[in-house]
Amino acid sequence: MRNRLKILRAQRKWSQSVLGDKLNVSRQTINAIEAGRYDPSLPLAFRIARLFEMTIEDIFECDDDLPPGP
Amino acid sequence: MTHQQATRRYFMIFVPSMIGYMVATIGVVWARDHADLPAMGLYVLAALPIIAILCTFWAHWRFITEIDEFLRTIQIKAVLFGLVCLMVMASVWGTLENLAGAPALDVFWLVPTFWLSYGAAALVITRRDGGVF
Repeated sequence: MRNRLKILRAQRKWSQSVLGDKLNVSRQTINAIEAGRYDPSLPLAFRIARLFEMTIEDIFECDDDLPPGP
Repeated sequence: MTHQQATRRYFMIFVPSMIGYMVATIGVVWARDHADLPAMGLYVLAALPIIAILCTFWAHWRFITEIDEFLRTIQIKAVLFGLVCLMVMASVWGTLENLAGAPALDVFWLVPTFWLSYGAAALVITRRDGGVF
């Protein structure tokens, strides 16, 4: 998944540590999400969306077409 | 809870437990070799290092439940790698013992095998994925 977390964080002049504290996760977790190495769980994605007062879709975007279901 | 707090809580249990394990093991070996204890007495004494080592397992379990989801993913991947190494060692050597008459391997060595392979995997995955050492 791609995401706009880095841009949104920069707009607010928050460091990764500050954002991590606000979301109760580590700086490393924020770094991994921003770098696209880790896709957050749905509860964390909701917490991120609430913090930025946006929807999950406004922040996260799927890289490719979703694979077909069963 | 922050990663630092979880790590601190982990070491607050792990370090005393390992010290207790070493002291208890030395004590049990000394008692076995120098004191004329009944077999049941040795079993009771041997429970001391066992309890200490179980405390380290519990501390590790608690650590994994207290860190955040990304760091937990790294830990779980490392634990899975450690378990795979453990199962490979047990099944390969067990088969060699049963079918080829290989010398019996002390099951005690399964736990260090797990910790070493888990530790190596945790380092590699953390370095690759950007977690915390």
